[in-house]
Amino acid sequence: MANQTALIIDDEPRIRRVVSNALADDFARVLEASSGAEGLRIASVERPALIVLDLGLPDATGASVCAGLRASSNALILVLSARNADREKATLLDAGADDYVTKPFSTLELKARVRALQRRAKLPDTVGATTIQNGDLKMDTEARTLESNGQPVHLTPTEWELVRVLMSNAGKTMTHRQLFTAVWAGRQFGDAQQYLRVHVANVRRKIEANPLDPRYIITEPGVGYRFARPSEG
Amino acid sequence: MVWLLAFLGLALAALGLVAVRPLLGEAHVALIFLLVVLGSSAAGGRVLGITVALAAFVVFDFFFLPPFNTLLVRNPFDWLVLVVFLITSIVAAQLLYKARSERAAVERAEALREADKLKDALLASLSHDLRTPLTTIKALAHELQPLGDERALIIEEQADRLNRLVTDLLDVGRLDGGALHLDIQLNAVDDLLGAVGQQVSGKPDQDRLKISLDDPASLSFGRFDFVHSLRILGNLVDNAFKYSPPDSPIILTGGVEGKDVVFRVVDAGNGVPADERDAIFTAFYRRPGTGAGAHSTGLGLSIARGLAKAQGGTLVYRERDGGGTMFELRLPAGTP
Repeated sequence: MANQTALIIDDEPRIRRVVSNALADDFARVLEASSGAEGLRIASVERPALIVLDLGLPDATGASVCAGLRASSNALILVLSARNADREKATLLDAGADDYVTKPFSTLELKARVRALQRRAKLPDTVGATTIQNGDLKMDTEARTLESNGQPVHLTPTEWELVRVLMSNAGKTMTHRQLFTAVWAGRQFGDAQQYLRVHVANVRRKIEANPLDPRYIITEPGVGYRFARPSEG
Repeated sequence: MVWLLAFLGLALAALGLVAVRPLLGEAHVALIFLLVVLGSSAAGGRVLGITVALAAFVVFDFFFLPPFNTLLVRNPFDWLVLVVFLITSIVAAQLLYKARSERAAVERAEALREADKLKDALLASLSHDLRTPLTTIKALAHELQPLGDERALIIEEQADRLNRLVTDLLDVGRLDGGALHLDIQLNAVDDLLGAVGQQVSGKPDQDRLKISLDDPASLSFGRFDFVHSLRILGNLVDNAFKYSPPDSPIILTGGVEGKDVVFRVVDAGNGVPADERDAIFTAFYRRPGTGAGAHSTGLGLSIARGLAKAQGGTLVYRERDGGGTMFELRLPAGTP
């Protein structure tokens, strides 16, 4: 890991310094760019493993830089925002960002987020596996069954598909839009997105020991849902 | 002035037409007058248009339908022409008026949207400009802590405090300026209660918060903005943690009552005296003797009530048997 490159795109030299110090332990090289255009250029040449992108850039909107980076790079993208706006967070995750940190953040928090992102990126790909185990839940994607503690859980076809998408992306926050697209392929997002919340509520009643204190399907307020990884409590 | 011009136009048209009267059919006259009516309503609005239409009706009858220069009409079919002329003129004036007022409404809505966008952009850049230096201060203080200077910790705490104040003030700005973004969706009561619990988890005394449903057997839904409602309940629960005795329970419940979903936050604190029950929802109000300096901006309850109202809900303080404090949030219920 220590031989990797990180890139910071931020117009504030002091924030670049702070982020750069925080990343120095984990990355061999930390590059800096002060505008979206410069960031895109450096990213395409240097192939960084991690890109930290500030949203308050003078030359381009965060979502457009994010989508531009994603078009040519597999780097992990961590967004820094001064706005505590969940709508913005969802937009950026939809545009290909991997995670989002709100200013002001502590260096400790930033480091922890980066390490969590890297761990997740190294996890074995569950797509294609026929059984997915997570805590007491065991899903068989061929037989299309779900067991909790060895007991079968009865799900409707839509609920089953929803759990399958969430479980195969465990640890990753899925936005409402991403979940909707994956589960209800081909339907209009706007009118029917309420189904998602209703189905999640129904599923929780079936798989969570206490639906008011969910351990599997975690709500990311205003953004979407995340299936907890087995190691999370 | 417009009225004068309109009637002058009608008079001129009538004079001109009278001069060539023998050559004219009724249709010629009707079309020319219709033009005058439309011109008048375009320039002077619906009332003028209809008034000119009525005047033109009389002039038409008087000068152009035989016998001339009387209001009598010889041929019954001429009545038909007259009445159709009148109806056409009035309907045309009316349609013109409607089209114009619709366009004006669209323009007004457009201007409002523009203003909202501007407010949103202003608040966003304000937020960026205030938080960027706070980030640097906080991060540098954090870097200094391992060196053992306790002042670094105080700097970081104060940066956090300033950040809370910035967040609250920006929210007040959004509420007052009408720049609040609402995302009203059908949400499960389970989901909102669970999210409040999640927010509290990690607090050393998190076990004080007891969350339950009024009717655990049924799944209920409301139509509300999830993030704003979470903020409201989060503020209420935070207050309960701050102002009730350590180790005393804090109870959060949710359920449906009639057309509302109702959430209640109850604690074993001292309650609020009757004469302060409205005042506590005013911005910057500090209850005498609570000494709530360091961790309060005095904005939490006022923001909470503003967010409740914006979603068509209410937030009130309720008297509770046996003392303590109870806040009640009502939001519209919904069904899938």
